[in-house]
Amino acid sequence: MHIMEGFLPLQWCIVWWVVALPCILLGMYQLKKVLAADREALPLLGVTGGFIFILSSLKLPSVTGSSSHPTGTGLSIISFGPWITCVVCAIVLLFQALFLAHGGLSTLGANIVSMGVVGPVVGYAVYRLLRDTSVNIYITVFLVTAFADMFTYIATSLELALAYPAETGGIASSFILFLGIFALTQIPLAIVEGIVLALVFKYIVALKPDILIRLNIFSKEKINSARSEAS
Amino acid sequence: MKFRYTLEILTIIAIVAFSVMFLYSSSNGYGEKFVGTDSAGSYAIAELSGTPLENFQPLIPQWKPPGTEIESTLFALQAAIGGIIVGVVFGFWISSHKKT
Repeated sequence: MHIMEGFLPLQWCIVWWVVALPCILLGMYQLKKVLAADREALPLLGVTGGFIFILSSLKLPSVTGSSSHPTGTGLSIISFGPWITCVVCAIVLLFQALFLAHGGLSTLGANIVSMGVVGPVVGYAVYRLLRDTSVNIYITVFLVTAFADMFTYIATSLELALAYPAETGGIASSFILFLGIFALTQIPLAIVEGIVLALVFKYIVALKPDILIRLNIFSKEKINSARSEAS
Repeated sequence: MKFRYTLEILTIIAIVAFSVMFLYSSSNGYGEKFVGTDSAGSYAIAELSGTPLENFQPLIPQWKPPGTEIESTLFALQAAIGGIIVGVVFGFWISSHKKT
């Protein structure tokens, strides 16, 4: 999902930076508030952010004949919401732009919007939709993770389609072209990522159920039933 | 029936299935190059805009890892940073869980 440095016209770089900046600022504000209210949220932030660092560093070959990055944002979205996730994504993407030439400083805004805003907002919507239903929490984690991952790449496709509409067919035609490149490769990766993060969440539930209940991530009943299932 | 290790088994099945699909598709010559989607996206941009790939110059000067080996090292460093944080926190949680 990295749009490489120089591959986005200046006006679109500015547009996406303007969208990304308020989201980062809101995330920093929320982060300060969450950590001031409960210092025990810090280790959870470390684990959920750590998985973004790990998974987004992997370039996995997919069955479509190309390779791509998972995003690893699912746990952070569920635990802290989309805006704090946006801050963590911004740090990871800055690291990759500065040291790996994956993405660049001018395209960083666009990359933050796809991985740190659109993916997490869609993932968070899925989480809110399922949180108070009878759906199992691991299935919720799986769906949030998979949807956040897929929509990150759908957002990248849209960003590129807007900047480079096809001569025939315009934005819609080039959106389909970019979806074929980004989203198709991502489907198997999103499924595997969803299952892996659901498993990680199982261990968090087993070790630190109290913090999940205190931060109101899932109800006490749901956490307790997930714990009894796993033991 | 509730089974304790359902998620663990599902994870193993998913990873094995993913690997088998990857090996099958690459053995068919379908994925000869396994080019990254980021690069594939850049090729598509060049084609759509009718501008040769080499004409896309960075808007902001950028440092590039001098070689793919160094790039791999830096990617591994990124994963290591995440891994260390996750390991430390899980270690801390497990030790405090055992105490209680």
